[in-house]
Amino acid sequence: MKEGADLRNEREFPSGSSGQGVGARLPRKEDDRLMRGRGQYVADIRLAGLHDVAFVRSPLAHARIRGIHVPEHHRGSVFTAADLVGIKPIRAVSGLPGFKISEQPVLATGKVRQVGELVAMCLAPTRAEAEDIAASVTLDLEELPAITDMLKAREPGSALVHEHWGDNVFLETNYEVDISAAFDAPIKVTREISTARQCMSPLEGRGVVATFDRRLDQLTLHSAAQMPHITRSGLAECLDMEEGRIRVISPDVGGGFGHKGILLPEEVCLSWLTMQRGHPVRWIEDRREHLVASSNCREHHYKITLYADRDGTLRGIDCEATVDSGAYSSYPFSACLEAAQVASILPGPYKMPAYRCRTFSVATNKCPILPYRGVARTGVCFALELMLDLVAAEAGLEPGEVRLRNLVLPEQMPFDNITRKHFDSGDYPEAMRRALAAIDIDSIRVRQREGEADGRRIGVGISIYCEQAAHGTSVYAGWGIPMVPGHEQASARLTPDGGLELRVGVHSHGQGLETTLAQVAHEMLGIDVAKIRIILGDTAMTPYSTGTWGSRSMVMAGGAVATACRELGERARRIGAKLLQHDPAAVVLQNGEVRGVNGSVSLKAIAHTWYRRPQDLPADVDPGGLEVTQGYKPVRDSGTFSYAAHAALVAVDPDLGEVEILDYVIVEDGGVLVNPLVVDGQIYGGLAQGIGTALYEEMPFDASGQPLATTLADYLLPGPTEVPAARLDHMETPSPYTQFGVKGIGEGGAIAPPAAIANAVNDALRPLGVEMMQSPITPHRVVAAVLAARAAERSAA
Amino acid sequence: MKPAPFSYERPRDLDAALSMLAASTGSAKIIAGGQSLGPMLNLRLVQPELIVDISGLAELKRAEVSGGELVLGALVTHADIEDGRTADVTRGAMRAVAANIAYRAVRNRGTIGGSLSHADPAADWVSALAALGARVTLRSLTGARTMAIQAFVVGALESALRAGEIVEAVHVPTRTVSSHWGYAKSCRKTGEFAHAIGAVLVDPAAASARVVIGAIDTTPIVVTDAAELFGGRIAADYKQRFDVSVADALLTKAGIDDAAQRHIHVSVLKRAVLEAAA
Amino acid sequence: MTMIALHVNRRAVELSAEPRTSLADFVRERLDLTGTHLGCEHGVCGACTVLLDGVPARSCITYAVACEGADVTTIEGLDADEVTTELRAAFTREHALQCGYCTPGMLVSARDLVLRLPDADERRIRVGLSGNLCRCTGYVGIVRAVQSVIEARRARNIAPQADGGRTHLGPAGSGRATSSREELQRARQALAPASESATPGRIPDFTPATVLDQRFTLPHPPAKVFAMFDDIAAIAACLPGVSLTAPPRPERVEGSIRVRLGPIAAAFEGAARIERDPATLAGRIVGIGTDQRSHSATQGEIRYRLVPLEGGAATAVELSIGYTLTGMLAQFGRPGLVRDLARRLIAEFAGNLDRHMSGAPSRSAAELSFWSIASDVLRARLARMFGRVFTGKGSAE
Repeated sequence: MKEGADLRNEREFPSGSSGQGVGARLPRKEDDRLMRGRGQYVADIRLAGLHDVAFVRSPLAHARIRGIHVPEHHRGSVFTAADLVGIKPIRAVSGLPGFKISEQPVLATGKVRQVGELVAMCLAPTRAEAEDIAASVTLDLEELPAITDMLKAREPGSALVHEHWGDNVFLETNYEVDISAAFDAPIKVTREISTARQCMSPLEGRGVVATFDRRLDQLTLHSAAQMPHITRSGLAECLDMEEGRIRVISPDVGGGFGHKGILLPEEVCLSWLTMQRGHPVRWIEDRREHLVASSNCREHHYKITLYADRDGTLRGIDCEATVDSGAYSSYPFSACLEAAQVASILPGPYKMPAYRCRTFSVATNKCPILPYRGVARTGVCFALELMLDLVAAEAGLEPGEVRLRNLVLPEQMPFDNITRKHFDSGDYPEAMRRALAAIDIDSIRVRQREGEADGRRIGVGISIYCEQAAHGTSVYAGWGIPMVPGHEQASARLTPDGGLELRVGVHSHGQGLETTLAQVAHEMLGIDVAKIRIILGDTAMTPYSTGTWGSRSMVMAGGAVATACRELGERARRIGAKLLQHDPAAVVLQNGEVRGVNGSVSLKAIAHTWYRRPQDLPADVDPGGLEVTQGYKPVRDSGTFSYAAHAALVAVDPDLGEVEILDYVIVEDGGVLVNPLVVDGQIYGGLAQGIGTALYEEMPFDASGQPLATTLADYLLPGPTEVPAARLDHMETPSPYTQFGVKGIGEGGAIAPPAAIANAVNDALRPLGVEMMQSPITPHRVVAAVLAARAAERSAA
Repeated sequence: MKPAPFSYERPRDLDAALSMLAASTGSAKIIAGGQSLGPMLNLRLVQPELIVDISGLAELKRAEVSGGELVLGALVTHADIEDGRTADVTRGAMRAVAANIAYRAVRNRGTIGGSLSHADPAADWVSALAALGARVTLRSLTGARTMAIQAFVVGALESALRAGEIVEAVHVPTRTVSSHWGYAKSCRKTGEFAHAIGAVLVDPAAASARVVIGAIDTTPIVVTDAAELFGGRIAADYKQRFDVSVADALLTKAGIDDAAQRHIHVSVLKRAVLEAAA
Repeated sequence: MTMIALHVNRRAVELSAEPRTSLADFVRERLDLTGTHLGCEHGVCGACTVLLDGVPARSCITYAVACEGADVTTIEGLDADEVTTELRAAFTREHALQCGYCTPGMLVSARDLVLRLPDADERRIRVGLSGNLCRCTGYVGIVRAVQSVIEARRARNIAPQADGGRTHLGPAGSGRATSSREELQRARQALAPASESATPGRIPDFTPATVLDQRFTLPHPPAKVFAMFDDIAAIAACLPGVSLTAPPRPERVEGSIRVRLGPIAAAFEGAARIERDPATLAGRIVGIGTDQRSHSATQGEIRYRLVPLEGGAATAVELSIGYTLTGMLAQFGRPGLVRDLARRLIAEFAGNLDRHMSGAPSRSAAELSFWSIASDVLRARLARMFGRVFTGKGSAE
């Protein structure tokens, strides 16, 4: 159901029909090594003299450290904050007014503020022995009241995570447009909605191998990281070293999803340790550490009111949103990116005349949060789309009608919404109409009236979102966080034998950039993708970049590769013209050759001439040669807006509380797709994570701040039987602002499923008087709600 | 996540294993397939000084039918049962249960004896074998004793095993031709341990029924004479006579005071009854 | 260290390793076969799946020493394998991998499915792969790839291996080893020595996170029972697993409690103080203890109140047990199991009290203890390990 090439209006697609360029469904170059066990993840790095590190972590959520007792015979192998002289704490400051600064010591000093906080570092030849040492260290801790409930933490008199703040709020924001104009609306629906705290859980955790090269006087840190250049900047600040003395290498990375996007105290610790000890050191995050001690995400609470007219037209939204940011502000995104973002993205692709949103980023004695795939959008979409279904119920309309009445229209594009988000392109109502048709909502309504033979109840739910991606300088400068993306750069170099090397500062942790960026280069130069090598994940070998986050890599690095290749092609064309004895204006670069009326010369021959037979070059040849570094920004840096409508059909067993997804439809518009195979994979993968958010994943804490899901038997990740074979439909509305019209799509799949599934469950259970407003929707929660509704009905009768 | 150090012995026969157990100071643990103990060792929840690996003992790898019952050595794996490498006297009941335990890679090493020894109330064999009327033989240097499965599991993760004693064999009675079998469980994910199990063995011809409500927080509820759950008598119409309020009362008596939890258990049991009657 | 001899990827290997070395660490760290990945190290995620005597097994919870004599095949050993070659082609065609971390284990499990289940439909493939987690792909490409290989082989009339090729009983990988040589002195690993005592200096007050109420009856007059509660040594003797480490004083009782739960043992060392009110026949014992091995700590209190029954001939003991647990052992919560344990241990405590007052010795076989309510958490932890969600009311909701 592709829209076809006619939508690719003014874009350049010189590769024609080679089957390798932009739009090709090309199998990935990286697959073979990964399928043969020849990938190299950080735990696979072998260095002579490597020693392992295990950490002593706080067993308490909040306590004063009175003492750390190390057995005499381990004293040389255990390091505490007292040893880390000159190491600075991690600080991630936001420039938003009123932001309160936290300092995260890399090893705890004075207090511990979360379970799992690093207290001491233990070194041994193997991890097992390092864990033995860690087990022998005892901590003398004075327990303090734990702050675990973000709403209570906002109240006066709460115990304090950071005493000198005076309260527990990192940041409060308020955004308002004429909210009082909505107050007289005939429909007013108010609810509290919440989403559970989650762990991102890539299959590979974090990991660090640090070594020091005495010849180069350089620290080399291998880390499973999404943003090696940012890691380097953060390390330099904490270690007080010149950036040039630090090299960060991120090898194959086993999934990121945001989890590998922050600077870790462990990275700082191991950097210090290898420089102290003179041999390589390694720390590999195990699953327990990941679940107990690493960064979390997504714990949102909304108190939200929707105002609407009887016909479902939105009159306004009034919301108070609270995000549990955990104990510290993590580098570089800060503790408030998520909550503050809620205010700007809550209205999504809907039109409305009035709006108010207050947000609170609250400090608690839990792990810090960081942006997980979809960031705040998953929670926002959950809150708003659940509320729109309630408006529909109140107005007696189909949920789809309410959406169609309020979505931005294609003729309004480009569109600035009530929070001044600039929508670049798209037809949102069309996506919604296609989704409703594909799920066949009319048949479902008939089936619902007939009932199910097995006693279950079926329901249908829809949701739609927009995903601002690849937003750049102007947006992030406003946040004032330690990282503001500028021009994205790429280096392109023709090798003497006519191959192409591309160097980019973004990184791949499953996205397939080794293939898709090669497709972009192929599009520009016509070189066979088999001869194109992508070099990424190494600060010493790639241009600076803020890295891979925010669904930005294809837009930004793809644009940079295209720009660099265009310039490289231009230089080659001029050399080719000379070799062909042509006027440069009369030759073109096509399919890897420079062609004129007299014949053609291949890029390979041109490269051979530049490197091996410079005597044949024209006198006025560009001295930059066949190696180009170029920067790129879209025409506007306010971001691309991809979007999708999701529709879910579920069956709910009210007696067992089990939810089965019977059908799932996604209609996605990601602009022009560089590799539809890879895009589909991103969407399917995002859906699986969204299903996890909707039905399975939850990191609960007890009142003393102890995390209660510490294995994968407690923290449930969706498996093959929990994820349906979803049906996918693409629209391809190009972005007017980007190279090829591409849009960022990496996160979208994870945004809409919780809302669609919850709406479907509520649609199924509404006749029973049940309303689920909290994720995940667990069997126990469903049955408890069903029983409560039955009891309420009985007492009313 | 590496285990604390332990010593390791691989005894040549059962007697040697029992001697090692008896000689240990109480901190020895038996390992067979290691599918339950392995995770606990890795998490350092269990820190034995000595691991006695019985996985090689041929004496515990038997499966034979004798005297109207199937005798399975403790080392028979779930996959052995699933694949039919052992005789089946339960007319498919045990094969179906085995095939849905955890995952294939776990079933290839996980053993029936190990699963029982672990005495997790949520484990399939604890409930299924109790419903099938199976018994277990425990052996120590001083001899052997045999008891019903429901007597063997005395609490959550607490079995009747004494120090120096191991599970030697499981005895499964032949299921009568006239009996009906139903087994249902509710898991949040495929392969995860159940949070509700219902197992039903009904013989309307003999007017008898055994019913197990498992995966509660303690010893499964085993009703060996289950007439009370079916309005006082077992007959061909037992499906219609199944009384959810009796099951609910049993759960309340067992200390399950969460109504939603009880409701799920009763619903799963009902599902097992329907399956038996299907 | 133990010498381990086995075959890895058809190559004979003989290396010494600690018995605690998992098969995964053995092939990764000792043989540099890093294609086997560790994702959870507790047997759930499937990333570490290898072939053990030809069938899939978890190498993270299988110890190398237990594989003596076995045939181990890792992903590196499947380079030229016919089925795996077909699977690789299908995986790349269907985009069945993204980050690649789960892929080696996924291929090993998929190969097993292809061989065993020639008729598998999509549902059976999904169930068959449910022991392998993938966080990237949503399983779409994986399921399609496996299905396509199964269909292609069925079209070529390739017979299945219904049992994965196994003919003998018992755990995969077992049975090839000879017994350890018992006449040799056991090479005991030195256990980490106990660290310095962590008996707390101060016994703080606290608000228990969990409170359990129990009531039992003793056939003795209240005054006698109350006196009994003042006899610290006697009370301690009735608490299974408790031993005193110093002469008890009401303001400070030092001791330890050994808790055994299935295979798990913990020893909480700590101190308690005792408060009594003769006017109301009530009292309180409040204490704090730590278990060094698990880095866990507990604070607990027992409140008791005696109510005369039968005109003063008998006594109803109303117990309220409260505790808070922190650290490794706390990070699991199953209130239902707590109650199960509490019921059993209180029954035992009451029985011991009764026997003591009747002049009979306490039974001391079990190590369940009053303070060992910690052990319910041990138990909970175990139980939760194996995938059960929170039950009952409590912190989960």
